Amino acid sequence: MSLELPTTIPLQAYLVLAALLFCTGVWGLINSRNAVRVLMSIELMLNGVNINLMAFSSYLDGQLIRGQVFAIFVICVAAAEAAVGLAILLSLYRNRETVDMERFNLLRW
Amino acid sequence: MTLIGAYAVVAPTITSLQLNAGAIAPEMAVLIALLACLVVDLAGEGVASRWVPPICYAGLLSALVLLALQWDAPLEPSFLGSFLADNLAVAFRAVVAGSTLLSLLISWRYVESSGTPVGEYAAILLAATLGAMFLCGSTDLISIFISLETLSVSSYLLSGYMKRDARSAEAALKYLLVGSAAAAVFLYGASLLYGLTGGGTGLDAVALALKTSETPVTALALVFVLATVAFKIAAVPFHQWTPDVYEGSPTPVVAFLSVGSKAAGFALALRLLVGCFDSFETQWKLLFTVLAILSMTLGNVVALAQTSMKRMLAYSSIGQAGFVMIGLVCGTEDGFSAMVLYMAAYLFMNLGAFACIILFSLRTGSDRISDYAGLYQKDPLITLGLSLCLLSLGGIPPMLGFFGKIYLFFAGWADHQYLLVVVGLITSVVSIYYYISVIKMMVVKEPQEASDAVKSYPDITWSVAGMPSLRTALVACVLITAVGGVLSNPLFNWASATVAGTPMLQRAIASALPVALG
Amino acid sequence: MSIASTAQFICFAALSITLVVGALGVVLLPNIVYSAFLLGGVFLSVAGLYLLLNASFVAAAQVLVYVGAVNVLILFAIMLVNKKENLAAIPGLALRRVLSGAVCAGLFALLLRVDLTTSWALPGPEPLGDEATLRIGEHLFSDYLLPFELASVLLLMSMIGAIVLARRDVLVSDVITGEPVDQGLIEKERIPLLLDRSALESSLLEKTP
Repeated sequence: MSLELPTTIPLQAYLVLAALLFCTGVWGLINSRNAVRVLMSIELMLNGVNINLMAFSSYLDGQLIRGQVFAIFVICVAAAEAAVGLAILLSLYRNRETVDMERFNLLRW
Repeated sequence: MTLIGAYAVVAPTITSLQLNAGAIAPEMAVLIALLACLVVDLAGEGVASRWVPPICYAGLLSALVLLALQWDAPLEPSFLGSFLADNLAVAFRAVVAGSTLLSLLISWRYVESSGTPVGEYAAILLAATLGAMFLCGSTDLISIFISLETLSVSSYLLSGYMKRDARSAEAALKYLLVGSAAAAVFLYGASLLYGLTGGGTGLDAVALALKTSETPVTALALVFVLATVAFKIAAVPFHQWTPDVYEGSPTPVVAFLSVGSKAAGFALALRLLVGCFDSFETQWKLLFTVLAILSMTLGNVVALAQTSMKRMLAYSSIGQAGFVMIGLVCGTEDGFSAMVLYMAAYLFMNLGAFACIILFSLRTGSDRISDYAGLYQKDPLITLGLSLCLLSLGGIPPMLGFFGKIYLFFAGWADHQYLLVVVGLITSVVSIYYYISVIKMMVVKEPQEASDAVKSYPDITWSVAGMPSLRTALVACVLITAVGGVLSNPLFNWASATVAGTPMLQRAIASALPVALG
Repeated sequence: MSIASTAQFICFAALSITLVVGALGVVLLPNIVYSAFLLGGVFLSVAGLYLLLNASFVAAAQVLVYVGAVNVLILFAIMLVNKKENLAAIPGLALRRVLSGAVCAGLFALLLRVDLTTSWALPGPEPLGDEATLRIGEHLFSDYLLPFELASVLLLMSMIGAIVLARRDVLVSDVITGEPVDQGLIEKERIPLLLDRSALESSLLEKTP
């Protein structure tokens, strides 16, 4: 009944999945017009990183699992960042009544 | 049984762990001050505005004293390799703590008159300091990440602290989105490094793994990690958040961000690039040469066109970061100590300039450069202080900034970085032009040419609480900027002792020496 | 191929498909509420992947923190700011999307190349399995004690800061002088970044007469 992990699914499968998630996040970060969606895209990127860490932790560092500890720290920081981000968003929304990112001109001189 | 076996793997005997926690005593002082601020704040706004300032001074001053005691102390990694209090860490932590102390001195009046709670402001600024100080000494990817995020999250909160002012919230949102994306990119690079080491997160393990692996993965990890460092020190082309965040955030916060946060960023750059990516020296030096040239050029040229004082200082700080990068690229003894020296000089001249700007905006409610016209007749103190600090930033001889800059250029020239030094000299001349034009605006204008803001200048009073501390900070910064240049020998000694007492930098210098000879 | 490994493959395939489709939905769907729910699906399938990787504790943390806290927070935020906005059309938006898509595809190709060509130090030691929770605890109280403690400061600060920023009240008068305060007054002449110029000019016109 033991779940024999190694060899069956290659490490690279997880890494590719993580890269895909990360790149989707980057695309969303660039293209989203809604500030909430930008925050969601950042969460996608962080999840991609976490999959990377967990895969390395399981395949290369099975005994010391530092990657799992790293992933827990990332989850903790992501939660803090999301809370702060949404608080700032609320405070901005009260002033401006919009969440449209296009009203920022990011590349201003 | 399994429990004991597991302990044996993590650490031979968990009871005999040598935490060596004394290394973070200065941070403990800051942390105690932070908690005390929060507790005092519970008693109401009136009590807080009375007691929070002395608590912060006590915490930061004792942190500085404790840092001085750590100077040249025998080196032992503390927290099982998470933290190292070498002289480099001590010096940069002192710069961070000093910048917080000065920013707090100049911020009380500003915070009070904007009607925002003082206790929480001080607590968040102290948390940012805590993160920056830990960042200077972290030697482990996880510690670096957590301290980086403590600094960043507190900075986002501080930028958005004027919540009735839409610009402040906009600056905070922009800073948060760009900063979190940069953190995610850093994490991706860190995860690749973790995979490369096969399960180590310490920087020495990473450095060891990087020596043996020549695959493209290291280049990618280098670029990802470097992008985050460049974001933190606002190097072009990772600077785009800087002008908007600097313009929108409360001015005292900008003072902290432009010095404290940047110093922590440079400490991180030294630790990562010199200590960890030393096997890829040519690559990262090339990248940083490009970044330095772009930063010096763009920062100083665009600053010419600014009409807002804060925005001009934002661009000038981008240019100044470019000058400091010359020292980083050299990688010689002189280069490193010039970096440390210039950061210390930058602390005083930049915060002095910010103190003057805050004082002016408290009295007139403006930060447009044109509103400074004819100021010398109404307020000689601001005129004198701002002139001296700007001259020093521009690198005019008797000031402190001149010696810092000339040392950087000298180190660059000695290391054959001719292109960097020439670009640095040319852009320095450009920077002198816009610094002088502000001074000209204040001094040369006739009384009838003075701006409306200056014509209706209020009477100068220092009696309101918060003003005396602002004056103290202003006078101290201006004095050190003006006199420090002539008496800069102790600073030079301090900077070279910093480099001499840092094994990591000594190793880098020793490994670079044969190349320089040959 | 044993039943166990077949089941593993099927689980992995199902989870990855949910993950990819969900992630694409998060960034592509026009309705932000659907995106938020799909984000919850992405978080859940990532937790499933962690289970496949023998990391039950992190999977539980993922479900509790990401699905339970972050996703709910995002949903609340959407409800609070969900005003129907007619987003002004931007010229060249489609082109920009395609261009950035190409850039991201290039980035993906780069990451793919790195992931596949690097010779990772395989095979590593035997994974711990269920003892992982124990080991995580040991790490948090030995070599990662410093980041663990610092994370508590980070969480405390983000909690306090979020409350300070999100609550409505601002002091109405200066505590020391008793004068009324106005945050806009300290530095006037501040043109908001978010307002477009036409709105700004009209608001200036309203004030001048």
